[in-house]
Amino acid sequence: MKVDSFPLLMVLLFYLSAFITILIYKNEIAKKIAMCSSAVGVVLSFFVMMETVRNGSFIYNAGHFEAPWGIELYVGRIEGIISFALMCIYLLISWSSLYIIDAEVDESRVKLYYFLCNILIGSVMGAVFTNDIFNAFVFIEVGTLASCGIIVVKNQKENYLATLKYLILSSLGSGLFLMGASFIYSITGNLNLSYINAELSKVSGDYPTVILIATGLFTVGLGIKSAMFPLHTWLPDGHSSAPTSSSALLSAIVLKAFVLLYIKILYRGIGVDSMEIELVFEILLVLGSAGMIVGSLMAIAQKELKRMIAYSTVAQMGYIFFGIGLGTKSGLAFAIYHIIAHAFAKSILFITAGNMVKKAKSKYIEDLHGIGREMPLTMGVFTVASLSMVGIPILPGFVSKWNLALETIELGRYVLLAVVLVSGLLNALYYFPFVIGGYFRDKKSGELDYSRRLSLKERIPLYIMTAGMVYAGAASNEIIELFKAALG
Amino acid sequence: MIKLLDNYVETGAIILFGVGFATMLINSNLIKKIIGMNIMDTAIFLFFIAKGYIPGKEAPLVVGDYKGVEAYINPIPTSLMLTGIVVAVSMTAFLLALTVKINEKYGTIELDEILKGGRDESR
Repeated sequence: MKVDSFPLLMVLLFYLSAFITILIYKNEIAKKIAMCSSAVGVVLSFFVMMETVRNGSFIYNAGHFEAPWGIELYVGRIEGIISFALMCIYLLISWSSLYIIDAEVDESRVKLYYFLCNILIGSVMGAVFTNDIFNAFVFIEVGTLASCGIIVVKNQKENYLATLKYLILSSLGSGLFLMGASFIYSITGNLNLSYINAELSKVSGDYPTVILIATGLFTVGLGIKSAMFPLHTWLPDGHSSAPTSSSALLSAIVLKAFVLLYIKILYRGIGVDSMEIELVFEILLVLGSAGMIVGSLMAIAQKELKRMIAYSTVAQMGYIFFGIGLGTKSGLAFAIYHIIAHAFAKSILFITAGNMVKKAKSKYIEDLHGIGREMPLTMGVFTVASLSMVGIPILPGFVSKWNLALETIELGRYVLLAVVLVSGLLNALYYFPFVIGGYFRDKKSGELDYSRRLSLKERIPLYIMTAGMVYAGAASNEIIELFKAALG
Repeated sequence: MIKLLDNYVETGAIILFGVGFATMLINSNLIKKIIGMNIMDTAIFLFFIAKGYIPGKEAPLVVGDYKGVEAYINPIPTSLMLTGIVVAVSMTAFLLALTVKINEKYGTIELDEILKGGRDESR
């Protein structure tokens, strides 16, 4: 077996299994097919990761057409590690969705849900691996339609409105992305990122404005899709109204793939040396800092649990854009590490929150007091994940925040250091009251109901996810070193 | 100014893009928003295809003798936009289907009324 065809196999696997899922008559079999395909996906991505960690990056020509004409898949260490992490999270999310999806989605739509999930993860993997801007555009579009689908599958009034907002803003974003691609094509004549980089290093002096415009278009276009601060308005509605496992998927996986694509276009396509990139970096820094602060403040003001977690996503995406905006290789490595850290923690938070909301039959935080005594282990998992969000040592959220803070000191930018510290404190201000209220405050009405506890099989995926998160924190040095080595 | 007139296709495309963008953001009627999105997409297609067009060259279809590479336009942007059109069509179809559903649930397709109605419901 040749490992270098595995990335393409992963994309094809998910697309094929998606179309088989929708043809199957019984929901149970459809669920099994979805689980099997994600398990195979984890195995394939594991081999891809081991290959990249051992031997560095490799390139696969889809259909054996050479690069400028055919579509290239570029798999470096960053892509390998991120794809493995995202695949593991996807497997665990779909595992825990097996037990909760029937309660949230009509029976006739369960198959449709797994169909959309498979399409979504296939296109996300495609967007992570591809080295071609236009190919990336098609994957983004397919992914956007599928992620709108997994919000609207719930068939409630507010889901339609949330999906509409998401779809209108993302079609705007993809329009801007395509416009950026056409600007780049007009001065380089290429759509392949490596060739674009080679051409731009020759002509960048002649067309500084065109390159700046194209970078701006990519920033706004992908910024809308990955919830960069002022463009995040679609996110809280969409992520809080979606079914539990869809919110986890959207928050943990979809946003991350778009950020990674943005990093690839910025560093491997346009190239940081070929233009006056400082302006873009400064804008990213300002927007990232604003997102970190405002997202947390908005989260504090929320009364619904899932909405609070959704606003926390805005704040955490702010950290990633902040890391990119620092403009140094190590800042970028910490931003990419934060992708993994946030993906693990946020999927745990959304799934436990969804289970608590389902058991307590109320989405408001004040009705959830005392839930920690009713479901102690589930709440415990939630607590560990929120500790990672706040930044408690060993857990991955701490590693990226600590390193970002150190990086700002190294660059001598103390205002930014203050931003990182303040936003860390703000994170504590909305996660801890919920955890404390859950464990120690009395229930608003009625006695404690211990029958609400999740059964063991429902908790196993959550435990594995927590173990994965702690492992990602413990192995952070090795992972970050690999990222730094891959960035050169 | 002369440059804008020389590259009249690109100028037109950018103006169309602005028209579509504004229509999409300003109007509160969902159908008008969808029309705006389509105008915006079409502007991008025009812009992209203009990148492949070379004045005085033929379409890259060999009828009779092959006249050499120099005689034909660049077909890649055109073929890329074929995919772009398919994407835009599916986006439009999804948006229209959503509009039908929104009309069923809320009884209107004016976005500001929907937002008002949605808030009243949740109180």
